[in-house]
Amino acid sequence: MALATQMLAGCYSNNCPMENTVTCNFAFYDAEGTAIAYQDTITVSTLKPGYKTVYTYRKMGTLPIVKEEPDPELIEAGYTETLSQQRNDTILLNKKANATSIKIPMSYFGTIDTLVFAYRRISLRDTVKIQHSSYPHVELPECGTHMFHHLKSVTATDAAIDHIEISNPNVGYEGATNIKIYFNGVAEAE
Amino acid sequence: MNSISKHIISFVCAFAALLHAAAQDNQQQMLLPGEQPKPTKYVAIEEEKQHMVLFQGFTLSVDVFGPVSYAVSDYGTAEAALRLNLKNTYFPIVEVGYGKCDTEDFNTKVSYKVNAPYARIGIDINMLKNKFQSNRLYLGARYGFSTYEYDIAGPAMIDPIWGGSGAFSIPNTSCTSHWIEALFGAEVKIYKNFHMGWAIRYKREVASKKNDYSKPNCIPGYGYTTNASCWGGTYSLIFDLNWGMKKSHKRRVNVEIREVVPTNPALEQTIDNETELNDGERRESNDGKQAE
Repeated sequence: MALATQMLAGCYSNNCPMENTVTCNFAFYDAEGTAIAYQDTITVSTLKPGYKTVYTYRKMGTLPIVKEEPDPELIEAGYTETLSQQRNDTILLNKKANATSIKIPMSYFGTIDTLVFAYRRISLRDTVKIQHSSYPHVELPECGTHMFHHLKSVTATDAAIDHIEISNPNVGYEGATNIKIYFNGVAEAE
Repeated sequence: MNSISKHIISFVCAFAALLHAAAQDNQQQMLLPGEQPKPTKYVAIEEEKQHMVLFQGFTLSVDVFGPVSYAVSDYGTAEAALRLNLKNTYFPIVEVGYGKCDTEDFNTKVSYKVNAPYARIGIDINMLKNKFQSNRLYLGARYGFSTYEYDIAGPAMIDPIWGGSGAFSIPNTSCTSHWIEALFGAEVKIYKNFHMGWAIRYKREVASKKNDYSKPNCIPGYGYTTNASCWGGTYSLIFDLNWGMKKSHKRRVNVEIREVVPTNPALEQTIDNETELNDGERRESNDGKQAE
């Protein structure tokens, strides 16, 4: 009987989802709603809680150099060091080019995620603010825990973005498009 | 087994009947002058049919597989069943039990706890042809359900980008699950009204109330929900309770044994003529043999 119990217990297999990274999925469209591949490179960074010390080195006739760690060699080279406090930030997506969509993680315990979209061809940046709630999710104990999110609202500045909207408020690992970004301009017909 | 033995018996009977018929032909051919054929004798055939009343009592059973399962794994049950015995063929059954699961995944350290009662209703059908014997081989079906609360807990969740951590614990999540089962089992008589039997069950989850946070990993009375279906088993101690049962009685069909004596004079004359005719033929053949 014990053997039979073990045999029955040994039949279980792992049914965890293959795609198990929780990300907020953005899809790109032109101003009229046509799906596009955005030609410019996009870098997405986010503001994190807390502040950091930034070291700025200046010298007549040169561009200022910003570093997060002090650099004695620059001081020896005649640069002037200035300390300042800035919001912590981190890069979530680095120089993605010709993208039709991007995947961005969301904060577990924050209620508003601030994303900064930087472009190569445009000096201005866009700031996207996403208000959301988060909740833990367990499919099966063997699959581990994940933090799912529910989008409440989204806003964006208009440097390169025409408008923005929520497509699917439930952020999980299913891969559905959650936010649609409509960029300025209209795609040329091929 | 039973059908094979029947085939053998019927074959032997048929063979014996053939031998008997051949012997009778020989006897008829070997009739001596003045000898008359014997009257046909009907062999007694006694049919005995046993009449079974509908209500054959109750059956109370206790599962011992569930507690053993809990002793050697994370999930187990304590279960008893009350079964109605109709003509020793149909067994409507109600099973009630208490299921307990306390498991923690080795890799993720996520734990799941549940303990709650459950119930099943269904029917077993005795597939043996001879319903009078005490052993039973049956197929069955069940509908099961359980209303329960489960707890899930795990290591603290740490945000890898924005930082911060929070305890992961989802206690007292209410849920109701429904499932169906198909089973195959056997039971044998051990002593008087005491039987022992086993059953293998194929279970399929029909519906469970789900929420955003989780889904039940283990359902009392059903088992693990890792797949859409699962297998289970029971090993039962079974007691036949004959409360209010009327005894089955035998309906005997008696066939009268008698010898058929020819009473019709015309028939007697016919038999005599045939006998004489046979005697004459034999005499002729004997004369021919002597002349040779």
